[in-house]
Amino acid sequence: MVDAISLEVFKNLLVSIPEEMGAVLQRAALSPNIRERLDHSCAIFDAQARMIGQAAHIPVHLGSMPASVQYLIEAFDHFSPGDVVMLNEPYRGGTHLPDITAVTPVFVDGNVAFFAASRAHHADVGGMAPGSLPLSTDIYQEGIIIPPIKVIEAGKYNVAVLKLITANSRSSDERLGDLEAQLAAQRKGAQRLIELVDQHGLGTVIEHANALIESSRRVTETVIWDIPDGSYSFEDYLEGDGQTHYQIPIKVTITVRGSAMTVDFTGSSPQVAGNVNAVSAIVKSAVWYCVRLLVDDDLPMNHGCFEPVTVITPPGSIVNPAFPAAVAVSTTETSQRIADTVLGALAKALPDKIPAASQGSMNNVTFGGMFNGQQYTFYETIGGGHGAGPQGNGLSGRQSHMTNTRNTPVEAIEYVYPVRILSYELRANSGGKGQFTGGDGIRRVYEFLAPATVTLNTERRMNQPYGLQGGQPGQCGRNILVRDGKQIVLDGRASIQAQAGDILIIETPGGGGWG
Amino acid sequence: MRMSKKIAVDRGGTFIDYIASIDGKFTIHKTLSHSTRAVQIIADTASQVINGNPDFISHGTTIATNAILQRKGARTALITTQGFRDMLFIGRQHRPDLYALQPSIPAPIIPREWCFEVPERILHDGSVHLELDAKVLFSIVDKLHEAQIESVAVTLLFAYVNPTHERLIKQFLLEQGGFAEWQIALSSDVLPEFREFERTSTVALEAYVRPLISQYVAELQQAIPASISIMKSDGGIISADRVRQQAVQTVLSGPAAGVVGALYLARLSEYENIITMDIGGTSTDVALCPGKLSFHPHAEIDGLPLRVRMLDIETIGAGGGSIAWVDEGGALRVGPHSAEANPGPIIYGRGGTDVTVSDANAVLNRIVRLLDGSMELHLPPALEAVKMLRNRISLSTEDTARGIIRVANSNIIRALRRVSIERGYDPRNFTLVAFGGAGPLHACEVAEQLSISRVLVPRFPGVMCAYGALVADVVLEYSQSLVQILDSSTPQRIQTWLDTASTLAHDEMQDQQVQHVNLKPSVDMRYLGQAYELNVPLNNDLAAEFHRAHQTNYGYHMPDKPIEIVNLRLQAVGQVDKPPLTPHELVPNDGANALIAPGHYHRQHLQPGAVIRGEALLLQFDCTTYVPYGWMAAVDAYFNLIIERTANG
Repeated sequence: MVDAISLEVFKNLLVSIPEEMGAVLQRAALSPNIRERLDHSCAIFDAQARMIGQAAHIPVHLGSMPASVQYLIEAFDHFSPGDVVMLNEPYRGGTHLPDITAVTPVFVDGNVAFFAASRAHHADVGGMAPGSLPLSTDIYQEGIIIPPIKVIEAGKYNVAVLKLITANSRSSDERLGDLEAQLAAQRKGAQRLIELVDQHGLGTVIEHANALIESSRRVTETVIWDIPDGSYSFEDYLEGDGQTHYQIPIKVTITVRGSAMTVDFTGSSPQVAGNVNAVSAIVKSAVWYCVRLLVDDDLPMNHGCFEPVTVITPPGSIVNPAFPAAVAVSTTETSQRIADTVLGALAKALPDKIPAASQGSMNNVTFGGMFNGQQYTFYETIGGGHGAGPQGNGLSGRQSHMTNTRNTPVEAIEYVYPVRILSYELRANSGGKGQFTGGDGIRRVYEFLAPATVTLNTERRMNQPYGLQGGQPGQCGRNILVRDGKQIVLDGRASIQAQAGDILIIETPGGGGWG
Repeated sequence: MRMSKKIAVDRGGTFIDYIASIDGKFTIHKTLSHSTRAVQIIADTASQVINGNPDFISHGTTIATNAILQRKGARTALITTQGFRDMLFIGRQHRPDLYALQPSIPAPIIPREWCFEVPERILHDGSVHLELDAKVLFSIVDKLHEAQIESVAVTLLFAYVNPTHERLIKQFLLEQGGFAEWQIALSSDVLPEFREFERTSTVALEAYVRPLISQYVAELQQAIPASISIMKSDGGIISADRVRQQAVQTVLSGPAAGVVGALYLARLSEYENIITMDIGGTSTDVALCPGKLSFHPHAEIDGLPLRVRMLDIETIGAGGGSIAWVDEGGALRVGPHSAEANPGPIIYGRGGTDVTVSDANAVLNRIVRLLDGSMELHLPPALEAVKMLRNRISLSTEDTARGIIRVANSNIIRALRRVSIERGYDPRNFTLVAFGGAGPLHACEVAEQLSISRVLVPRFPGVMCAYGALVADVVLEYSQSLVQILDSSTPQRIQTWLDTASTLAHDEMQDQQVQHVNLKPSVDMRYLGQAYELNVPLNNDLAAEFHRAHQTNYGYHMPDKPIEIVNLRLQAVGQVDKPPLTPHELVPNDGANALIAPGHYHRQHLQPGAVIRGEALLLQFDCTTYVPYGWMAAVDAYFNLIIERTANG
């Protein structure tokens, strides 16, 4: 029987499973991107692909994972005990190619009762540039495409598939280590779900999962109920698609009626040639994340949080592109702008609650080349200013909204890669002024000690992060290359061949001011 | 040399606990804590308890913890490499709370205007890329004086490979700045290991608490003419003099002592694998000991990384004073808010109106008196308040009270899972050792949920932290970063360092008059390109040992991959004489002599061999043990309670 008490007990139980999966993944992984920067997420689902528990990892992963599980159910006629499926294809349950998702159907009494899933950002999955976040014009340029494939079928490893995947990466040893780590996390998730059923019985577990979904739905509906009924629109822009500079509009209209909310992206740009097209799973991720922000409690994130919110993404648009549109930086850049847009619209309904725009970019820096006779790839994202809000000033120099990855220590980078970090500091006064000041961006300076192919995917280099309620916008970011003493201002999206002695300065945006 | 009169003292927020062993008999005592007069209280009480001047005091204290939590440490400045003055503010650049509309980070312990840069640069191989420009230090010193800085932390990039520049800065501050030795903390001394943010955070915390600890220790030494040792976060003690150089090692002083004491007692009773559970008024500390103490690889305090060896203790905000409430979704919740010491639970009758876990225990007749009756228990208002709460969730009063305890337990269970299952241990193979004011009340029900079949409640559950300080050994740690590929030259380099470190260790142990010293050298290693290291004991075939460790920890190894040495470590353990504990004869009895009311026993009168079936309450001065139906408590040869599930329970 479900009561207020057993509900809380099960809430803890269902969160602890993905938490344990994440711990295994982090400890066993090889790449700094997973082990130092923790660029991974885990969640569990019921037989209908409804999320019933997640660990608080990376927002853009978590909201988009339900699509992976949903797609799986449609893609396969049947599952056997011991199956593990992997996929990364954005048009079939994925988001962008570096994010490889593993899903395990968990059997109870001969039927699939649950799914356990993990997603990790792999530092290189091939494609036209080291780090697999190229300035691409279709998905084939972005790396190896993995449609849903049973890498383990009824307990039997499909070694050939793993070999094929790792052979397509510039760092194949590392890939294999990271994939093994993901499989270890999958085993842990499945095992813990089985133990849960053994201890409490399937009926009780399902009953409580349903009740938790119901409870999260109620809380989310209460939060929406508190938003005044009406329609609220907002438009913000991406600064080009990596091919051409132009303002790419993302438009949203949020309609609130009672305890239901519709978030409609009609009016957004048609899909574009370059790498910023976002499949609808990413859009939903960003929307759900924004709604979740309105709940000030440690509400369990599950399917119930999604139900009261309808998301409309017109086919053929930048928020729901058709295959084979390029998507490489949609998870990092487009997702941030969607969050800015949704929060901008919500600010019209809740002016006393919503903070100004945060930096609005993940400032992707990717480089690679040959060093000491070996191929290497390096990937990192850089924090920036948070928007100020009614609760006070914005945070400085931190990751915001759709990501929460760590940095790579300077003493770790310089030991391994042919690069020297000359400075890593806050950009004083880059946050927007106001009653409360936006957080400052970061200034990170790299000196290349050997030639390298560098790819930059950064936003808010032309359009400032907005202020709210009279607050000033935050400063734009800047990318500068210093070669032979001369400063060259680079585009927000740039691919350059760096020479030894070149200095790259990345200045990340400040947050908007408030009031 | 054998010390004859030894006393252990644990200074907490509310109480100071004392325990001494005199002629084979334990004496315990509690006094109220006092922020300004604590040293005098300790000096007076210690000599009362021990009836004369103690020769040896082992001491746990929350001074460093509180200074950090309340941001009341020294006025501290940071000096660092040009370009990196904001390290403490950027951190690892993540936010602690993923879904906060406006996330916040812990307040920094050093304000930005007190962070200074010096032009200099050392590279990863230790070579000097840019010489330190000492001229800039003149103006920095002026600013330090202007800001009345009391303590200076110095972290330069790659100082763990080459500390020359850090030492030049120290020399300058001593000679030209008028600073004293104890006012300067260098990262190459405090934590000579890589990862600049964690190192900087650690050395900043050290500088922040060092003047306070230094002063406190000096006062203690002046007030008490005894040899004084201080409890560290790693469960060992070090001399008061040494702690003045390693002040930040004392942040887990009290909780670590509790774990050490629990493990010592449990081993004596031949239970090797234990999980400790210390439930206090506002928080619960849990730790897992698989036959030994286990350490946290990435410890922090109040969100600030602190890379010193600390026991792996998980602290959560659930205790006897945690407040119960109903959320918008209709779920019953407990904590994290607490009624604190003031007003405290409703049953204390000091103006509390929120239902706490202790109130729920009283409603269920599990708390029947307070401090042996010296404090009045106010049950009726607690009953009323629980009834109000029950109306919102449609349960009976009793079920609501039970529910509050179940929910509080479920939070504690999650912490227990984190230290056990998430670390790969099955709790069913462990004995739960419960102490602290409320630990023994909840222990059996918590154990039941985790399928743990045995609970141990020590003889003196209320003063376990002092007891731990009494039995703790002297533990000294030395480390050195040495990042290089493992090759044929490695063993010689390790030996050279080890010789120096061993000499240092023996000298210090001699100062502490410790006879038996055990040296444990080890090496942190990883595969080239990995980000985290595994610590393996030093032996003749390091490579083989590392491959084996990797296989055990992660389920695979890579025989062809180059291995990197990252840190060399030496741990020196000096065994301290423990108070003798002799087992008493077990005389089977039903505890009738200790019966004070139906189902209620006074523990003081329970003798070894007594067996009591649940449901029962075992009362003592500072603690109550609840034995539910289906469990059976036995008093063992050392007066511990061993509570086990009965076959049909």
